[in-house]
Amino acid sequence: MIEVKAVEKKFGRKKILKGVSFTANKGEITCLIGINGVGKTTILNAIMALTPINKGEILIDGKPLDKHSFEKITFIPDAITMLPQMTIAEAMEFMKDFYTCWNQERATELLGFFRLNQSDRISSLSKGNTAKVNLLLGLALDVDYVLMDEPFSGIDMFSREEIANVFTSHLIENRGVIITTHEVGDIEHLIDKVVLLDNGLVTKEFSAEEARENEGKSVIDVMREVYHR
Amino acid sequence: MKNYLKLVNFEFNRVAKLFVVLLGITLVIQMVGVIVLSKEYLNMANEKIYEDMMTKIEFLENFGKMNFSQIVRSIWFFGPIGLCAAGVGFYIFLIWYRDWVGKNTFIYRLLMLPTTRLNIFYAKITNILILTFGLVAFQLIIMPIEMLVMKGMVPTEFRSDMGLNKIIAVMPELSIIIPRSLIELILYYGAGVLAVAILFTAILMERSFKWKGILVGLLYSAIAVVFMILPLLLQEFVFNGFFYPIELLGIEIVMGVMVLTASVWLSRFLLMKKITV
Repeated sequence: MIEVKAVEKKFGRKKILKGVSFTANKGEITCLIGINGVGKTTILNAIMALTPINKGEILIDGKPLDKHSFEKITFIPDAITMLPQMTIAEAMEFMKDFYTCWNQERATELLGFFRLNQSDRISSLSKGNTAKVNLLLGLALDVDYVLMDEPFSGIDMFSREEIANVFTSHLIENRGVIITTHEVGDIEHLIDKVVLLDNGLVTKEFSAEEARENEGKSVIDVMREVYHR
Repeated sequence: MKNYLKLVNFEFNRVAKLFVVLLGITLVIQMVGVIVLSKEYLNMANEKIYEDMMTKIEFLENFGKMNFSQIVRSIWFFGPIGLCAAGVGFYIFLIWYRDWVGKNTFIYRLLMLPTTRLNIFYAKITNILILTFGLVAFQLIIMPIEMLVMKGMVPTEFRSDMGLNKIIAVMPELSIIIPRSLIELILYYGAGVLAVAILFTAILMERSFKWKGILVGLLYSAIAVVFMILPLLLQEFVFNGFFYPIELLGIEIVMGVMVLTASVWLSRFLLMKKITV
């Protein structure tokens, strides 16, 4: 389980996170939702120790993140994390070199799934295909937790569908996923848990299925209620 | 250790092209310099001997024999060395900033590798050393070749041959890149490694605290420099030459190790706790 406990974060004098707490379980898709600038990306960065927090604690399976954690958890940011001059094959080779949890079989499967050509240079790819390469590099790691930041941002409809299909496949099964997205509609039916953020705090944390079954509300309905839109 | 070596190899591959370009520029410019300067000397000799009717002895008395130190002192020789030094100096900053700046977000990957983040620091500093030693080694290889070219162009009676040691003796600046003793090696390259480590720490401070980090980085660099020159100042103005030079060297080495340790420790702390992508 990923536990985010009372995390506070300031940028200069501005407090972005004012005590954010939530948990994300293995085998569930947790979606962080909030308007731009609410601190969704900051939370993901903080979980991966890519930005310091001012207060609070983040635990992964009960322990703070260390160098071994990166074989257990991965982060797929909204920008490519490989050198643009690399080919997809070279990027995969790099991952294989450094991560013992790299699963080449799965990487090859993902190449086919996304219809990517491994001899293509990353810099020559369209935005959609670059996002797919980013997903490939993250999902081909045999990790327990995957963090994804806006995987659908600025991507065409068909690529979005392909990426959304990943969530229903065995590529995600049994892993814990934290995802931030503006395009809730694309994955609404796949989300297990929703964490709504506003003004630096978690305003509501709920099970998407329970909201559907008990209250007959979709995630978007709950969002409208909470954000008064 | 394995991950450190992999990172060193990876980092070197990233700069290999620039490295080869610098080697190429050095070779071409210095070789052209040898040819141009030898030719100039020969043309002058021809002019004086055949047109001004000077005897060979008179010419040599007036203009002297040509030797390699004349080439070493020229811009043809020092220019490329300066260019390489500037290139390495520029690369000390580029090696970090290229992973952050613009569309490049490779720093995410580097910081998420399942290895201690200090290995990134070590791999980058090792690469600066590899570049420096590589360029110096290349200079040492091509110098005898350049001497041969000069020998091939200028007849024996018009030139005085010099060994590398003699050239460095007449051109002391060269001993900075080609130390002649172990002590010089420790002094020059130790100071170089220390300077790079201090700069890396300052860069990481800037990357961690942005504008405030620049100030803290500058302050840290200044403190480190003061710390390093403090024994020299005390020796000069307080102790009035109390320490023997070898003792002073020992003190400087201890101070250097302390500053280096502080830089590594601070960099580790920044990479682990304060860095921001």
